[in-house]
Amino acid sequence: MSAHDHVEGQLPHEPEKATLEARNKILGFWLFLGAEVVLFGTLFAAFLALRHNIGDGPSASELFQLPMVFAATMILLTSSLTSVFAVQAMHQHNKKSMLTWLIITIILGLGFLGLEIYEFTEYVHEGHGFTTSAFSSSFYTLVGFHGAHVAFGVLWIALVIGQVFKKGFNVVTAPKVYISAIYWHFIDVVWVFIFTVVYLMGKVAG
Amino acid sequence: MSSNHNHAASREVSKRHKVEGPQKHIVGFILSLALTIIAFAAVAAGEINETFTYIILVAMAVVQVIIQMAFWMHMKDRGHLFPIIGIIAGVFVVITMVIMALYWVWW
Repeated sequence: MSAHDHVEGQLPHEPEKATLEARNKILGFWLFLGAEVVLFGTLFAAFLALRHNIGDGPSASELFQLPMVFAATMILLTSSLTSVFAVQAMHQHNKKSMLTWLIITIILGLGFLGLEIYEFTEYVHEGHGFTTSAFSSSFYTLVGFHGAHVAFGVLWIALVIGQVFKKGFNVVTAPKVYISAIYWHFIDVVWVFIFTVVYLMGKVAG
Repeated sequence: MSSNHNHAASREVSKRHKVEGPQKHIVGFILSLALTIIAFAAVAAGEINETFTYIILVAMAVVQVIIQMAFWMHMKDRGHLFPIIGIIAGVFVVITMVIMALYWVWW
């Protein structure tokens, strides 16, 4: 413990950018995010092109429940705030507070996932299966891909927390916290477009 | 007494590095919240004409994403030229793809 305290006492102001390796990791991660933008772009393009092809299945406005979408949006938005608090605690070299915010972020992420699983089950019961129509296939692919990203983010942050516990809070683990927080914000940014384009525009189109 | 001491210490730190407070993140959160509520309200009200609703929705989403990227993804901080170029390139590709897909399927 005292050894850790010693290391923490010597942490630089921005421990996530202290080494060249860490700065390269962050740059590399941004390049990855550029590719993620393109990935979600293709899914959005497919969804936008096919969203009116409902075949015999239910339409978007029959299916979507705005209160549930709003709840999911609030959960994810709040989790984005808690993950930025974790980065802030990291900048203040406050390991305990950082880990607490990361754990809250994970719990909110799990809440979002639970809501999404419940939502998809409801839709399937209402006759909106994956192969019902071009609309349903592109909907599940787009929203499901985002859900998979949330699940991956939860797993990732959990592993980062485990590493901080095991290896301590230092210039090697700090960039991992920072990058996983950026990833989490990116998931929230994609969700902004999903609730706008998929749910709200789906409701408007009638 | 101890709070005075802490105050002096934090001032000393802020002289060396600009220590960020939680305020700007809370401001970002409240702005995002407001933009989200406006978007949901515009649809829930259902009284506004369809084209105008679309314009509101897209505007709210774009503003919210810019706020979140600037504040929460630290893109307004120094040394983020490459991330900005990368994301703009990604957005350019996305817009091209969406137009292409709509054109391909519908016209």
